[in-house]
Parts: sequence; structure tokens; C-alpha cells
Amino acid sequence: MNEKLPPIYNFPPLYTCQPNVLIREQQLSTWCDLILDFAKTNSVWCMSQEGTVVKDSESSGQSIFRNESIQRSVTAPFRDQIWNKMVQSEKAIKSNNGVYFILWRSVDYWSSQILQWFETTGKLNQVMTVYELLEGDETLGWEFHGMHPSLCEESLQRLRDRGRATLLKEQNKIMGVKVV
Amino acid sequence: MGQKGSKIEVTKTDKAILQIKLSKDELHRYTRRTEILIRRERESLKALLREDPKNGKKNPRARVLLKKIHYQNHLLEQAADQLINLENLVSTVEFKLVEQQFMMGLKQGNEVLTKLNKEFTGAEDLMDSVADQIAYQDEVDQILSSSVVGGFEEELDRELQQLDQEVNGPVHAPANAEPKLPSTEGLPTLPGPEPEPEEPQKETQGSERQREAVLT
Repeated sequence: MNEKLPPIYNFPPLYTCQPNVLIREQQLSTWCDLILDFAKTNSVWCMSQEGTVVKDSESSGQSIFRNESIQRSVTAPFRDQIWNKMVQSEKAIKSNNGVYFILWRSVDYWSSQILQWFETTGKLNQVMTVYELLEGDETLGWEFHGMHPSLCEESLQRLRDRGRATLLKEQNKIMGVKVV
Repeated sequence: MGQKGSKIEVTKTDKAILQIKLSKDELHRYTRRTEILIRRERESLKALLREDPKNGKKNPRARVLLKKIHYQNHLLEQAADQLINLENLVSTVEFKLVEQQFMMGLKQGNEVLTKLNKEFTGAEDLMDSVADQIAYQDEVDQILSSSVVGGFEEELDRELQQLDQEVNGPVHAPANAEPKLPSTEGLPTLPGPEPEPEEPQKETQGSERQREAVLT
């Protein structure tokens, strides 16, 4: 995975927690940028604490925190620090089951994208299921296609708070949405 | 914010559509799963043939795999058909909703129209009455105008003639009424103006008259 990442990814000191506070801040923000960059280029929505990509509640692939080519990896405590930084700077959301949603775009951005889709395709005032919105053929080519349902729910909640959407629940799970 | 109070209504049809769409999603998911399954089975079949090129064709496992693939393909087709059916159903329901709106609009329009038309129920009587009034008006006009023509007009004429006589004297006056012009007798004859070329006839007539005048 390192060929898609900037050269700093192969810089060995990046993998060791730096004692100097200022340098560590810089190091943490570099890690945040790396994760965001990685998520954006690979359309990754969800990552585990270990740094692997989570898809369909199965983590797969290699951890971003492990770089085989220079034989380095980030220790668990330092990973926590990185994730904390991510959450603090609103670049990630920690979900209930311990995975992180990577916000390479803000939730507001997603909600407005979804709203825009509803408006441009004339789907206003019609019921759409979340699955349809994320996996259906009609959203192919939109950035939010393939988004993690929980993240989508988060975005839809924003739309609801703005009075533009109603969420339809089925067995206590948000299944559908109606946008006006 | 103020918008929070106005909750978007979720009707029964919305819920029904949601149900249809959920089953549609389920079919969609199934289609994807089956596609992946078929791809995997095909790959394993290929691998089987590659491993054992001589006896691969006779291998019962290969036959079973191929059968399986065919069966899955069959199911996939069925699923696609059902998917289309469900999509059509959703479209139909959505179109019906539009039609419902259309009917509502029609109904309301009709109501307004009947209400307005009700206000016109007295129209015939009104028009009759108006016609009566117009006829009466005509009658009155006629009476009034005829009364003027009958007595008054003649009297007016007479009075006018009387005034005329008073001012202009008796009727036989007209002979003397011509204004007296100073006589041309005794005046020296003017040298006749040269006849102008533009109106020669008129001029000659004029000079003849002059000559006559001179002769008398």
C-alpha cells in the first residue's frame, strides 16, 4: 500500500513516538493526513483500530500502521494517540464496535451531497432505502456510493435536523429516507 | 431551529413503498451474492481443469460445478426478472400517487366551479328582468321622443319663421336683398389686362364680359 502514499510514509522515525511535544504534534498530524489520503484514494470508509480496512464488518488487508518495506510498525499506545487526534480534529468518528469512520470529507459535506443527489435526480418526496442510496445503480459515480451505512445514517440525521428529511425505521433500524 | 416543528409526514403509502423497496434491495443483494458465487465457482472449475488437463473433463466434481453454475445462472435470471417486476411495481405506485394528486386537483377544481356556477342560478331570471327593463326603457324613450315630435316641433318651426320675418322683413323681399354694389357707369375704362397664358379661356370670357360692360 505504500506506493500510493507520500514518501514520508517510508520515513522510519515516523513510526516511533517522538518525545518532543512539538515534533510529536507534527508527527500526529502527518499520520492524520496519511490516513485521510489513504482513505480518499482507496474510498475507504471504515478502519479498525489496528489500521486495517473494514468492509462488511470484516477487516481485511494490511494495516496502514505496518510498513513492511522498512520493517517498521506503530505500537498500540501510539496508535491510540493517532486515533485520538483523528477524532479530536473531527476527521474520524469512533463507532460503537470499536471501528473508526474516516471522514475524508466532513459529515456536512456528505449530507449536502446526498441532498444534491436527491435534488438532481428528482427523487424528492419519494421513499428511498439506505441500501438503494449507497449500493443502487442510481448513485453510481457519486462520491457517497458505497458509503458505510452508519456514516450515511449520520449524514441523514443532519438532513433531518435541517428539516429536509424523514428517516423511516423498520425494526428499530433506519432503513429508508424521504427527502423533501 | 423553527423548522424542527414541521415534521415531514410519512403516509401509509410511503411505508408500503419502503417495504417493496426493502424486498427489492434484498433481491439486489442476492443478485450480487450469486454473481460473486458464480465467478468463484467458474474460477475453481477452471483451476480444476488446469490442474488435471487429461482427466479434468471426466472428473465428476467438474460436472457438478458446471451444473451448479448453470443452476445459479438460472436463479440469477429469475431474480433479475423479479427485480424488474418490483421496480415496475414501485414505478406504478409512484405514478398512481401522482394520479391521486391529479384527481384531487380535478375534484377541487370541480368543487370551485360548481360553487361559482351556483351563484349563476338566478341568471335566467336576471336576464329576463334585464330584458324587460330594456324594453320598458325603449318604451319610455319612444313616448318621450314622440311627445316632443308631436306638438313642440311645429310650434318651434312657426316661432322661428315669425322671428325670421321680423328680422328679414316680408317674404317677397329677396329681389332687393342683394347688396347694392356701386355702379360701374361713368368710370373710365381700365386698360384690359393682357390675357395670361395659363388661363386663356377664362381670361377671354372675362374680357368679353368687360367688353359687354363697356358696351352697355
